[in-house]
Amino acid sequence: MAAKSPVKEPPGTSAVNPTTPLAPPPVKPELPSSSEPDVVNVPSYSRWFSFDSISECEVKFLPEFFDSRSPSKNPRVYRYYRDSIVKHYRENPSRKITFTDVRRTLVGDVGSIRRVFDFLETWGLINYFASVKTLKWEDKETKSSAASAESSSALKETSKRLCNGCKTLCTIACFACDKYDLTLCARCYVRGNHRVGVSSSDFRRVEISEEARSDWTEKETLQLLEAIMHFGDDWRKVAQHVSGKSEKDCITHFIKLPFGQEFICKESDSEDVDNKFFSINNPSDAVSESENVGATSPSKRMRLTPLADASNPIMAQAAFLSALAGVEIAEVAARAAVTTLSDVDDRASKGSLMRNTRQQGMNSNPS
Amino acid sequence: MKLPATSSSKAPVKPTADNLVPIRLDIETEGQRYKDAFTWNPSDPDSEVVVFAKRTVRDLKLPPQFITQIAQSIQTQLTEFRSYEGQDMYTAEKIVPIKLDLRVNHTLIKDHFLWDLNNYESDPEEFARTFCNDMGIEDPEVGPAVAFAIREQLYEIAIQSVASAREIKISKKGRRGAEHAISSKGGGNALDLMKLFRYNSSVVRKRKEWYVYEPIVDILSNEEVDALEAREDRNTR
Repeated sequence: MAAKSPVKEPPGTSAVNPTTPLAPPPVKPELPSSSEPDVVNVPSYSRWFSFDSISECEVKFLPEFFDSRSPSKNPRVYRYYRDSIVKHYRENPSRKITFTDVRRTLVGDVGSIRRVFDFLETWGLINYFASVKTLKWEDKETKSSAASAESSSALKETSKRLCNGCKTLCTIACFACDKYDLTLCARCYVRGNHRVGVSSSDFRRVEISEEARSDWTEKETLQLLEAIMHFGDDWRKVAQHVSGKSEKDCITHFIKLPFGQEFICKESDSEDVDNKFFSINNPSDAVSESENVGATSPSKRMRLTPLADASNPIMAQAAFLSALAGVEIAEVAARAAVTTLSDVDDRASKGSLMRNTRQQGMNSNPS
Repeated sequence: MKLPATSSSKAPVKPTADNLVPIRLDIETEGQRYKDAFTWNPSDPDSEVVVFAKRTVRDLKLPPQFITQIAQSIQTQLTEFRSYEGQDMYTAEKIVPIKLDLRVNHTLIKDHFLWDLNNYESDPEEFARTFCNDMGIEDPEVGPAVAFAIREQLYEIAIQSVASAREIKISKKGRRGAEHAISSKGGGNALDLMKLFRYNSSVVRKRKEWYVYEPIVDILSNEEVDALEAREDRNTR
């Protein structure tokens, strides 16, 4: 195997195009996974990697090999581990290698091998699969629009962007840095989860349009409500029940539904969507809880747990924080957030939907 | 941390440049058996033990009961090692024979060589890597197994040395007894260099002894492997 295999970065994450242009779909290769057998995909934030040298990134994250404190850990040993692991992975890039596979073949103490392995995996030098999906998708795009540099940079502007930091799909808004061609989701941007040389001011905010998501019909909304009654806050099952909507769509839509409380407390419709957090698992509790403002700690603690293991980490986080902050604050905060959310969407002409849902809500929940 | 080599047995010494602990695991739970052998760096924090156990269980898809058992076993062996570490070892001029007799998948290895306990630069890992390169061994799992085997034997010898050093201390009263102990226990396996390298003998090994020290690498067929494994299982039970 060549010491330095040609490295190609997926066009979505880098403006530098591969020297081999994305020609109209290549011949079906023997390796079913990659479209071109000799090319390995490496995320753009790891382009410092080279078999011939050790970069300062590696020195920084694995100092044990470079501080001469241990006689068996030195740069030569580090390169032996690193090169063996990377070559092992590249023998079959479609397969995820485990630490145990690797440490059985390397001479050395398992602690250091594990740290090198984890480092390489974090930086996407091994077990890096995200790019395969975007490649296929972009292959289709270039099929329809003749392959050229312009088309692949135009691709950057369309939706479905992957975050460089956490490799998840970017939704709602993301932050793009043109200087280094990085894309970060909101979370990674806030956390400062980008490369060492890049500063936050280099990023600009990019809205991702929600046009891809279609409006909710009444039938879908009904399915959503049924599913929630059935499955509680298992959003995966809810999304399965509702045809054609993803988990995120379901949650987002559900947040915006005016709900329960308005019919019991007889207040204006725009409020009280907040209690959905608690109404999911225990509708009766939510009612009593909003009325007993000074909730006692034991019951508060109990309410911490129902959503603490919600499949959506954002929900779990919000539930936890709202329980900590107190009922009143949580209510007001949620109300404000939802109102603003709705306003933003209203501007994108979703006003009719709200009316429809309210209508339907009133029909199905007689006060 | 590493103290200079002294001929007196007072200073705590390490037999190798980096004291790695050979860990052997053989756990059976719920009808599943997990056998493994690897080297561990004792200067890693103990939290690493659980991390490693969880990782191994996840990678090998073992049932979760294995996690605590693996962690406990590693911890026990580490503690035992630490009780010996830093103890006085009786290491006069000491060259010990190391024997390799192991099977890794389809490769059978037999070797016999001398190891200098007083050489703190010695590195079993380096030896293993060179061995595999020189003998053209293709199976990458052989290297770690060789290093492990060497370390295990060195560990045994170290334990014996510590034990004999203790006995010498105890029997200090009778000097003659001490000398006797030194010659019989401390130098049991070791070669007496004085005898070996007298003025009228050469450093080169006698021809008839060559075959004893020659490394043998055998590739076994599937049937032979199965037969050997069956025999090993019977022996261990």
